Amino acid sequence: MASLKDIKRKIKSVKGTGKTTRAMKLVSSAKLKRAEELAKRSKIYAKKITEMIDEIALNIAKHEESLDNPFFRRVRNPKVVDIVFVTADKGLCGGFNSQTIKTVAKLKEKYESEGAQVRLRGIGKKGIAFFRFNRVEMLDEIEGMSSAPKYQDAAGFINRCIADYLEGLTDKVLVVHNGYVNMITQEIRIDNLLPVDPSSVGNKEPSPSELELEPDDDDTLLDALVRRYLEYVMYYALIDSLAAEHGARMQAMDAATNNASDMVKSLTIAYNKARQEAITTELIEIISGVESMK
Amino acid sequence: MNTMKLEIVTPTGLIYDGETKMVTLPGKEGEFGVLPEHASLVSLLDAGLITVETADGKEIIVAINGGYVKVDENKVSCIVDGAVLISDEEGSISESLEEAKELLQKAQSSDVAIATAVSRVESIKKSY
Repeated sequence: MASLKDIKRKIKSVKGTGKTTRAMKLVSSAKLKRAEELAKRSKIYAKKITEMIDEIALNIAKHEESLDNPFFRRVRNPKVVDIVFVTADKGLCGGFNSQTIKTVAKLKEKYESEGAQVRLRGIGKKGIAFFRFNRVEMLDEIEGMSSAPKYQDAAGFINRCIADYLEGLTDKVLVVHNGYVNMITQEIRIDNLLPVDPSSVGNKEPSPSELELEPDDDDTLLDALVRRYLEYVMYYALIDSLAAEHGARMQAMDAATNNASDMVKSLTIAYNKARQEAITTELIEIISGVESMK
Repeated sequence: MNTMKLEIVTPTGLIYDGETKMVTLPGKEGEFGVLPEHASLVSLLDAGLITVETADGKEIIVAINGGYVKVDENKVSCIVDGAVLISDEEGSISESLEEAKELLQKAQSSDVAIATAVSRVESIKKSY
């Protein structure tokens, strides 16, 4: 039986932990709201840009037999696969990071068993730390981008991947991140970034009016547009991951706060029991002492 | 007079959405103006200023750092990487001018285009 003093000290420490986790939950819920807002606003952009790609791709398809653009290249057996993964920079968010890491490890295994070479590009301290610990080589290690996503940074990063792809250094680029479904649910999302799958861009009836293009070169336009699209997909993955991270942390911290208060309760009961016991023994001692003096 | 809808969107949100009489855009191959009932057009945009004449006759200027525009008969959608709205309605005009200048100076574009746009921002600044 732990002494009264020990129990008291433990109660105090658990209470302190509970305070911390409660505060972290509140912080995360405030940040979640902001990330959610960011994601919502950027969706308008997504809608517009996919619409535009659709239209231009269709316009080109109308004039030419097939879409002969390196971004839409079809690869049956990719030899080199780049996996970009997005994790959080911070922990204490339940299984959020480990889910992503597990998926990445599985994907890596899968492609390697198919004979492809896998190159990892890591964003977020936690994922990088994991693969570094396991001595897995990474092509890129970027920290600080997942906690404060900026469009320019995301664009700069993805343009490096695009350059590699166009030079033929890689055949396929995947983006893995843990995405936001709602406050309490996250879901692993795997986006096929390159080559762009024409069917993923969506299909729409071509507009009846003839489209005038400027510059007059279809490919330059499509090229630049696809780049924008990819930049956006990367940026969105970062925001989505951020929202999911805060959601996961909120949930984890809520559970931690509940656990702490449960623990305080059971510790208080244990403390009271121990106190009563001590009083009882003391009483017995006094009474038996008095008895023996008679 | 006819009007058309103008939307300017960036990855971080909608910058402008409203009815307009005329829009002047910094195209990659030169500045051009769009009036309602314009033929469908898609164009690359350079870093520069979009000048908007709204349905009620006001003039609005938006600085952008490059993107796309899609013109339909009665709708203009600009998809840009970054944009700053410069309007005299709010008291923070000098602040937004500074922001616009910074956005333009950071844009990846030809020096000439940036210099032109920046000097235009400067001249707007002086007129206030």
